[in-house]
Amino acid sequence: MIKDFEHFAPKTLKEALTLLDKYQDEAKIICGGQSLLILMRQGLVAPEYLIDIKGISELSYIKSDGKGGLKIGALTTHRTIEKSSQMRDGFAVLAEMETRLASIQTRNWGTIGGNLCHGDPAGDPAPVLIALNATLKMASLKGERSLPVEDFTLDYFETALKTGELLTEITVPAPPAHTGTAYTKFNIIESDLATVGVAASITLGAGDSCQDIRIALGAAAATPMRAKKAEAVLKGKKISDALLAQAGETASTEADPISDMQASEEYRRELVKVLVPRISKEAMARAKKA
Amino acid sequence: MSEYSVIGKRVHRVDGPEKVTGSAKYTFDLVLPGMLYGKVLRSPHPHAKILKIDTRKAKRLVGVKAVVTGKDTLGHKQGIWRRFPELCDEEILCREKVRYIGDPVAAVAAIDEDTAEEALDLIDVEYEPLPAVFDPLEAIKEDAPQVHDGIELNININRHIEWGDVDEAFKKCDHIREDQFKCSSQAHVCMETHDAVVSYDYGGKMTVWTSTQSSYYIQRLMADMTGLREGDIRVIKPPTGGGFGSKFELDSAQFCAAILSMKLCKPVKIVLSREEEFTATKRRTPMYYFLKLGAKKDGTLLAKEARVITEGGAYTAMGATALYLTGFFSSFPYKYPNYRYDGYRVYTNTAVTSAMRGFGAPQSTFVGESQLDMMAEDLGIDPIEIRRKNGMTPNYEVPGQAFIQSCGLHQCLDKIEEHVKERGKLPPNHGIGVSAYGFMSGGIFNWFDTPYAFSAAVVRINIDGKVDLFTGACDIGQGSDTTLSMICAEELGVKLEDIRIHAADTGICPPDLGAWGSRETLMNGNAVKRAAAECKRQLLEFAAAKMAPNIAYDFDIKDRWVHLVDRPERGVSYFDIVKEAIRGKDGNAIMGRGHYTPHRKGMISPAYSFGVQAAEVAVDTETGRYKLVNVTTAHESGTVINPVGIEGQLEGAIMMAGGYGFCEDQPMDEGKILNPSIADYKLIRSLDMPETDILEIDTYEPEGPFGAKEAGEGLTNPTAGAIGNAVYKAVGVRINDLPITPEKVLKALKEKEKKKK
Repeated sequence: MIKDFEHFAPKTLKEALTLLDKYQDEAKIICGGQSLLILMRQGLVAPEYLIDIKGISELSYIKSDGKGGLKIGALTTHRTIEKSSQMRDGFAVLAEMETRLASIQTRNWGTIGGNLCHGDPAGDPAPVLIALNATLKMASLKGERSLPVEDFTLDYFETALKTGELLTEITVPAPPAHTGTAYTKFNIIESDLATVGVAASITLGAGDSCQDIRIALGAAAATPMRAKKAEAVLKGKKISDALLAQAGETASTEADPISDMQASEEYRRELVKVLVPRISKEAMARAKKA
Repeated sequence: MSEYSVIGKRVHRVDGPEKVTGSAKYTFDLVLPGMLYGKVLRSPHPHAKILKIDTRKAKRLVGVKAVVTGKDTLGHKQGIWRRFPELCDEEILCREKVRYIGDPVAAVAAIDEDTAEEALDLIDVEYEPLPAVFDPLEAIKEDAPQVHDGIELNININRHIEWGDVDEAFKKCDHIREDQFKCSSQAHVCMETHDAVVSYDYGGKMTVWTSTQSSYYIQRLMADMTGLREGDIRVIKPPTGGGFGSKFELDSAQFCAAILSMKLCKPVKIVLSREEEFTATKRRTPMYYFLKLGAKKDGTLLAKEARVITEGGAYTAMGATALYLTGFFSSFPYKYPNYRYDGYRVYTNTAVTSAMRGFGAPQSTFVGESQLDMMAEDLGIDPIEIRRKNGMTPNYEVPGQAFIQSCGLHQCLDKIEEHVKERGKLPPNHGIGVSAYGFMSGGIFNWFDTPYAFSAAVVRINIDGKVDLFTGACDIGQGSDTTLSMICAEELGVKLEDIRIHAADTGICPPDLGAWGSRETLMNGNAVKRAAAECKRQLLEFAAAKMAPNIAYDFDIKDRWVHLVDRPERGVSYFDIVKEAIRGKDGNAIMGRGHYTPHRKGMISPAYSFGVQAAEVAVDTETGRYKLVNVTTAHESGTVINPVGIEGQLEGAIMMAGGYGFCEDQPMDEGKILNPSIADYKLIRSLDMPETDILEIDTYEPEGPFGAKEAGEGLTNPTAGAIGNAVYKAVGVRINDLPITPEKVLKALKEKEKKKK
């Protein structure tokens, strides 16, 4: 049973921030509600006030950052991103990720900002955005600040958002030349959350050596995480199958997954070990074409 | 099929327009004036004594109209095995003891659902937790906690089936295999959860609207439990969102709503939440299977021995039948000259296990078809060949058990063999597994102790030729309203749109056992056909009098044309004959009654259908993940009444049985089901569905209406076995415990790798 709450539907960012400032921790932001309503129905979250920001149209957009990158408003729905013509070249991976996120119904209503703020380590967008080196903009009545996506989630369902703060925008920088990014997730049921998700972004340098690499894991720890040790295995080297296998091994060691009904800890590590080389290889193939 | 004008045609469901437009009113949708909303308080303990229940605070909550506990009931124990009182062991509202997490202890009626739920929190139940036992292998130990007092080793029931001389036969075998298997739990996951609206009035009459598979069972069981006369209880089944075996016993929604309504003389509605549906309704029976199979070098199967221990959960429910049927179908679909089965159903402090689509046969088919493939490999024989060598044939007697008239198993094997050949050489890590099965067309057993015919129907013809068909058959989504309307139209010689079906309302329909055991097409079909034939006979009397042919001709009706059989062009309109017949009978409507109860058909079922399924999988050997690529089924169900219906059954069965084989399970911790939501309980969805194909085989069942037999549950039997065999074919690992998850496959692959080294 969902406990009673008071519902606000601000139309501007300013109004929303004012309400958030007024009700502080007693309020929860709701947008698509695809995650929050489940928690509320289970009685895990019972806010006194719901600030429904779905109607703030100024926060729903996809535009250029003027430097070849993208700015995505936090209220942009998954489906909008999936279908956007701007999700091409280096950003195509975002649309690919979205096509595998839940069902069309959920994507039609759920938003990318809501997904990130939910702080579920199994969410699909975070690993991809981390691999793409994206940053987040947060606003409060006091002003704005930015944070890399990789620093945004602090623990299970816990983010860096402070009281009174609202996520407003995601900036995805233009990938460097000869960069390829790819994402995959392992799940049992196609439209389900990731048992393990892996994103990799590789920039190739002279002689196809790995000039830069970012590997991000989903559902492999309490937060979406970068597999920095695995990155170090590959960075600056000419990538070979043996090296990729080693990176997979390393990533599976630095991951810190849990055992649950979907998979044991060992199996998740095994999946990381297999998927990191696979998806790195795919990223490399794309980098060659980029 | 050209001789038929309705049967075998692709028609829309008779209830289709209402359902696809969303205007059909399910029990869930019903609202009556002054109706109250009920909620059920359930035990948080797997096993505990109830010391005290204090309802005072709850009763004082504004909006609460009544709170009931076991003390407000007659204290009867109920169960569907009415002929065996010792197996009627469930109180529904527990008075002294709770036996699983979810056992109901109290119920509240209030002005709305929120208030009722709030009131549940205010009911104070004092429990004394007792030691509990969860695994049947633990529960049969000497010192295990007793789930029911006085039941030795917690053995609820045992079943023994035997023919031939099994021990002697094993001595003559060239090769013997002994294997162990474990079959997991499965939830029915009906779209509509269990629900009921019960209205008891000051005149002492009760009306129950409920999502059920048998309105007659609910009427009778409700009478047992409330002390009302059967005739004072009217049970109406509105359109129903699925049953799959979960809805033919009296459940907590129905009973608690009834007790509350009787107290208040107001209508009370109870709808179980999805969580209650997962934790506090019944489920498929988990089984430990021990199989011994002996064969000659040439693949002739000489003997089989099956021993089974099933997880019963807290009460008997339909588990006794599942235990018997898994034993009987362990011999299917083969001619074992020597066979022995011993099954034990063991009480545990877990949610009750009972009937679910296939009723014990998906378990026996998974284990049996897995082991048969292993045997074939040991002997170096092709899997299809070993099935052909031993498969049942028409007019075969299962010794002392059953007589099988029609049987198209061998044609099915031929078709599947062709299909496998057509798939050609498969890509690496692909494999096709084959699994053969059979199933019954309704049960003969009468543990319910009904004095009535198993099926009955009444047909009444109105002055404008429109036909009212009254039947107790329950359309729960499987399409019996359409199938039976088609049978009625065909027999009477009218069009499908001339039939209006009135089903599953005990106030106006004859008693009927309902929708379970795949019985409705054959049993209700026969009753409907007989009732329609009786109406036709009456019409033809008038036709004969009117047309007065100079020599005796036989008359018939087809496509609304009443005619001489040998001179079809000579006839009159059906509508004219109806008008004259009704006037000629002093205004009496034309009515026909029909009933069917199987006689002299053995102990199990009047007819059996058969099939063979081939599942193709593609395995990712690094992750163990496999995809269902294609599932093709060769299937025989006698005359096909409704081809669209069979396609729906097949696709639904693959979704359900594929899930059973691949991903569905109900893990528990100390008796608590850990995944009671659709987010956590993994079901195959549209994106996961393989391509499916059906190869229909022509057979004719003499016992069935127009030659028809079962086409519902049987299709759930083969898939888990076919998947298991396919995974083995693809990558050489055998998983003996369901579900066959990617994690298990990967683990087995790694172990195989290790052994190689």
